[in-house]
Amino acid sequence: MTPRWVVRSTFVLALVAVAVSAYLTVAHYTSPHVLACSGSGAIDCAKVTTSAQSRFLGIPVAVLGLVWAVAMAALCSPRAWPSAARWVRPARAAAVCIGMAFVLWLVFAELVLVGAICVWCTTMHLLTFALFVLIVIFGYAREPLEAEPIDERV
Amino acid sequence: MAKQTNDRPKGKQAAQPGRSSRKARQAEAERRRQRTRRAGLAGVGLVLAFVALVVVGSLFRPKPSSQPSTSAGSAGTAVQQVPAATLNAVGAGSGVTPPMALAANTPPLTQGGKPQILYVGAEYCPYCAAERWPLIVALSRFGTFDNLGATSSSATDVFPNTQTFSFHGSTYTSDSIAFDGVETQTNTGQALDQPTAAQQALFQQFDDAPYTNQPGAIPFLMIGNRYVSIGAEYDPGILQGMTRDQIVAALADPTSPVAKTVDGAANTITAAICQTAGGKPASVCSSPTITQVASTLPAPTS
Repeated sequence: MTPRWVVRSTFVLALVAVAVSAYLTVAHYTSPHVLACSGSGAIDCAKVTTSAQSRFLGIPVAVLGLVWAVAMAALCSPRAWPSAARWVRPARAAAVCIGMAFVLWLVFAELVLVGAICVWCTTMHLLTFALFVLIVIFGYAREPLEAEPIDERV
Repeated sequence: MAKQTNDRPKGKQAAQPGRSSRKARQAEAERRRQRTRRAGLAGVGLVLAFVALVVVGSLFRPKPSSQPSTSAGSAGTAVQQVPAATLNAVGAGSGVTPPMALAANTPPLTQGGKPQILYVGAEYCPYCAAERWPLIVALSRFGTFDNLGATSSSATDVFPNTQTFSFHGSTYTSDSIAFDGVETQTNTGQALDQPTAAQQALFQQFDDAPYTNQPGAIPFLMIGNRYVSIGAEYDPGILQGMTRDQIVAALADPTSPVAKTVDGAANTITAAICQTAGGKPASVCSSPTITQVASTLPAPTS
């Protein structure tokens, strides 16, 4: 069985990720389009969220993040962790690995291509990393043993 | 051996191989756990190594060589000679956000007894690149620029490589107004002009709410403490893909989309300057077009 603290931590982290990505998505669609450059240096959310890298295949990254976070919340819920369904475990592992790989691309894009960091995006990256660590190191550390054989003495 | 086996109770005979196979399964499960954990740790290590590599690389990578602004040459001259007939034909133009009015009790900003215009921007900034066009067209009606630079906005920002001019190293002469253009960075982000303490104070005071929801944003254009414009007055996308000479040529054609936007923005700046400078010079400020555009400007707030 997966340790209870891992189940709880991943669920809480995924819920926080849903909240952060929801904020970024709402901001993406409601912020007025300001025709100005921010003068705030390397910490510049507007520069990041309006850059060419803020979209992936034409879809806003904020929306992709929200979809991913909702999926992670479902896969990390206290009901999903002990699920006997065979697809849940590989789906959770695949989802967190895809999320982590995407975060690595976004970190590269922020630091190298855009040259600015968005604090909200970085929060999302840290949440993804924490989920990745918990799931790949602790989430599968205690695989359930096979069922005990029935005693033949009966 | 055979006897010993036969003497054992039936139950124990069956339990012995079950126990050993359970042990084997447990050992196998333990090995799987170890393998999973090692793979997980390796994955986390790879992630951390990648991030460290990117951070270190971004800190120590050599900055691209700055593209110094060069002399604007004939384009710098031509942009100052947009025919008045064209500007009159365009009027307020289209897709233009005019400057905002400041509170009526704001002390006027002057220099040598003349209303002062202050621009703060940077060469990398695409919105500054756009705003310089109408600003130069408007200011050229009140005076003359010398040594205008030619440059383009950052190649890695939105609206990359927007062709424009630079105020860095230029001088402006006028009988009716004073102008200071401050370009804080090159188009690769290297430091350029340092605002004076007074300019910095003005920038910090007015480049803030309620005039912008993005404090410190550029371009910042202050017109004599009567009007302020923060950000470009129009969408820079209209200049995308055009050379400097093509833009200059389009400015003289009142039917071109570029003229309708850029010349329209120039007329709103001209009207705001006229309002600030008491309608001088009359040759510019008394024109029906400028008078009409001035009537559409926001009134000073109380």
